[in-house]
Amino acid sequence: MKVVIKMAAVVLAAMGGYFLLSGFMAVPVSPHVLSGTRIPPLYHFPYRQAGLTERQAAAHLLSRFTYGARPGEVDAVVQMGLESWFARQLEASLPDDSVDRRLTQYDALTLTNEEVANTYPRNGQVLRMAIRDGVIDKDSVKVDRAAYRDVLQNYMQEKGYKREQELFRQFCCQKMLRAAYSENQLLEVMTDFWFNHFNVSITKNDCAEFIPAYERDVIRPNALGRFNELLLKTAKSPAMLYYLDNFISSAPVQNDTSAQRARGLNENYAREVMELHTLGVDGGYTQQDVTEAARVLTGWGVYPIGEFAKAGRAAQLNRWTDEQIARRGFVHDGDFFFNANRHDKGEKVVLGHVFPAGGGYQEGVDLLNMLAHQPATAKFISRKIAVRFVSDDPPASLIDRMAKTFMERNGDIRQVLITMVSAPEFWSPLALREKTKSPFEVAIGAVRALNGDIRQPMPLYNWVTRMGEKEYYYMAPTGYPDRGTYWINTGSLLNRMNFGLALAEGQIPGLQINLLALNNGHEPESAEAALQVYGRILLPERDLTATEKRVGPMLYDKGLAETVGIIIGSPEFQRR
Amino acid sequence: MITRRGFLKGSGLALFGVGLMGGIPGFLAEAAARDKRLMLYKGKRVLVCIFQRGAMDGLMAVTPFSDTWLQAARPGLSLPAVAGGRGSSLIDLDGRWGLHPGLKAFEPLFREGRLGIVHGIGSPNNTRSHFDAQDYMESGTPFNKGTASGWLNRAVGLLGHDTLTPFTAVSLTPALPRSFYGEHPTVAISNLQDFAIQLKGNPAGANVAAKSFEELYDQTSPGLLHNAGKESFEAMKLLQQADLRNYVPANGAVYPNSPLGNSLRQIAQLIKMDVGLEVAFTESNGWDTHFNQGTDNGIFARNVADLSNSIAAFWRDLDANQDYVTVMTMTEFGRTVHQNGTGGTDHGRGSCNFILGNNVAGGKVYGNVPELAMENLEDGRDLPVTTDFRSVFSAVADAHLRISDDKVLFPDWVGSKAGVMKVG
Repeated sequence: MKVVIKMAAVVLAAMGGYFLLSGFMAVPVSPHVLSGTRIPPLYHFPYRQAGLTERQAAAHLLSRFTYGARPGEVDAVVQMGLESWFARQLEASLPDDSVDRRLTQYDALTLTNEEVANTYPRNGQVLRMAIRDGVIDKDSVKVDRAAYRDVLQNYMQEKGYKREQELFRQFCCQKMLRAAYSENQLLEVMTDFWFNHFNVSITKNDCAEFIPAYERDVIRPNALGRFNELLLKTAKSPAMLYYLDNFISSAPVQNDTSAQRARGLNENYAREVMELHTLGVDGGYTQQDVTEAARVLTGWGVYPIGEFAKAGRAAQLNRWTDEQIARRGFVHDGDFFFNANRHDKGEKVVLGHVFPAGGGYQEGVDLLNMLAHQPATAKFISRKIAVRFVSDDPPASLIDRMAKTFMERNGDIRQVLITMVSAPEFWSPLALREKTKSPFEVAIGAVRALNGDIRQPMPLYNWVTRMGEKEYYYMAPTGYPDRGTYWINTGSLLNRMNFGLALAEGQIPGLQINLLALNNGHEPESAEAALQVYGRILLPERDLTATEKRVGPMLYDKGLAETVGIIIGSPEFQRR
Repeated sequence: MITRRGFLKGSGLALFGVGLMGGIPGFLAEAAARDKRLMLYKGKRVLVCIFQRGAMDGLMAVTPFSDTWLQAARPGLSLPAVAGGRGSSLIDLDGRWGLHPGLKAFEPLFREGRLGIVHGIGSPNNTRSHFDAQDYMESGTPFNKGTASGWLNRAVGLLGHDTLTPFTAVSLTPALPRSFYGEHPTVAISNLQDFAIQLKGNPAGANVAAKSFEELYDQTSPGLLHNAGKESFEAMKLLQQADLRNYVPANGAVYPNSPLGNSLRQIAQLIKMDVGLEVAFTESNGWDTHFNQGTDNGIFARNVADLSNSIAAFWRDLDANQDYVTVMTMTEFGRTVHQNGTGGTDHGRGSCNFILGNNVAGGKVYGNVPELAMENLEDGRDLPVTTDFRSVFSAVADAHLRISDDKVLFPDWVGSKAGVMKVG
């Protein structure tokens, strides 16, 4: 097998340098080249053995690795070849003009954390700054609320400050638009997957403003990279440092009387990094390991971000050159700051590994690397990926194979995905249509299938919330549970049906659907015909004869929109 | 006419009838233990929890009015203990504690012995972050972030019977609260009227759509979607029977036209419809009074008036159902003893909570609140937490819902239940 791969590599390399090798997998430098020449990747999907036609397999592939097939997309995938389509998705570098164009109206999306802090200060901060700048007399705050609000508003306008809510609105909008229109669908799906895995929440004020950059700079660029890098970057991000409180964790301080600032060890991050991010709850670590890991990670914090924070703490930091910072054992890396003075310099033992006394920043990096490469981590992550893409209860044989790849390929996420899709379990009848769509997948899937035009994403976002998934606001570090029984219950199911009706009837503001355009401008002649035509668009390659038979007659004189709404709210559309 | 028995339809248990609920045959109990069956359980005991988000100033709600340290710390935030001056005064409960005048609707309930107050309640974790403190209080594990479930979801799992209805646990909130996260089925809904198939401006179309959906979910392969579909439509029909829109509260009860008032009104409707509600949740916002807290007027006064008037109207409206219902409030922490520079108070530690019910050992302010001299304060600034919230929550869950497995309800907690409920 190895020989074959090597030979293939030589052949590819000989083809004029159009391809480069990433690990063992050949990936095209430019997808345009591939679309013309159709060089298949070096793996094969065993769908025929599972009794699937190529079209059925393409539909399955699209249902798992995109937010839903667009009209004609099954054909496109078949034409390109399933493996080639998947390779392009793994490469994730298709031009995205359409989504880029839609995102230009959102000016906050490209801001650094520093710029965010200076443009969208927290509400409480604005008031403190206004008092500091003498715009508001702190005693007047008591007297006239309305007047004080006006003054504050003027102050914000003068300073060019905007409300924090606006930042979050733009951030939520971009998620909807990318999911609906990005060509690099797998990248969006995996970004969602890892965000949920390394969950942070807008509900927590301290970390909220840093979440847009967290998704943009930490999650998305590493969503198809190596797990250990992803882990390290989340650990060092302000969003995670604030969300799980590691920024405050320090070696115990003697004689500390300051009540304002809780000093000492905080185990929250250390516990969750083992339980939720790497080893899993049964990953074989003890409370002692948690405490020791927390000690290793003391001093990991955030460099003051924004003028307001800098005016306070950073005055002295700013006087130091990078060299001076480094000489003191401090580390300043972007927004990350390692404060050697807060670090516990004693000896620690985690999972039997000794971190000798006198260590600094590097021992935290070593700890995270060690966690990323544990067999328990390989299994835990592989299982979670399989739950996302195969079924709520994936077979052990599949997880073992994926975990083996994870270990052998140094946590290369692309390789783990390839192993999964190349396994018969992925194509098994036990996996087909077994996953229940999340509310987000229902909403975006319907928009994609109907070529919907999202002008204003918030009304659609609010529908997703009503169906039970308020994106970016899940409080717990576990992230949303990824299983049908979580999403489907009495209340949420009715909302899914109502969503289908509202969408198809054009009752969701800011979202345009042209149903007739999907049928070349023709109105179907009967409800049965409508069910057939639009059933095929919304649910390609599914057997809908039962649906047509049962519902067709009931819809006798009902409009086209209602018929489409019923397909979206039907049980079949809830499955992927 | 759909009745509660509708839930039994099509279930294997229907053969055994309602009478057998207490003594289910072994093989069925085994199946039920794995996954509780969704069918009617006439619970008849309802715990209603109200989360006051933002951290209520317990010292202003229920004031130790003769504490001179407090008066000195809050020159601008104190109310007179005795009537006579300008504005209203505190309501003297027992010679030591004074109820904020905005809470006057609570006074009769307290005097009748139905309303109990716990002062100095809070979390052993001294975080002063709203997010963390709410998270810990709702998960019920103050030192563990990764607890996936909320304490009320675990409570649902511990209900001493093997059946649930779609309405066993209902949160009148737009999104599922942290307290409800978990394995057991719970519902979040902001308005009961939304529990229907809706098509704006086209009720006839909505009817046809509803019938079509019911058909489709009925014909789909057995499993999650099939079952949830069936429950949804039965639940929907059940609610449609009641004239939700034209509901008239009993005994002339008048709910404040506020989010909390509306939520409690709908919880009362569910209780009266007898749909098997056992755990209800809702919330009240706006308690984070850093600025302009006010005294007998202002934000705080409006908030407490809304809280007490909503709860009092709910209680009045419950009428004959009062015996089955206990209401408990909670808030993530209290506020600083000293007023701050902007006419408000900052994040503190201990606060107080209210428990209302006929099985509450009420008419008393529980807890162990010291004199508020600097040396008695937590970190030199806050009302110390002297009662762990879990000792109160578990006491209420035990007495009212007959849930005694504290290891599951509050893992990691070692302590004794607060004696806030009547014995027996």
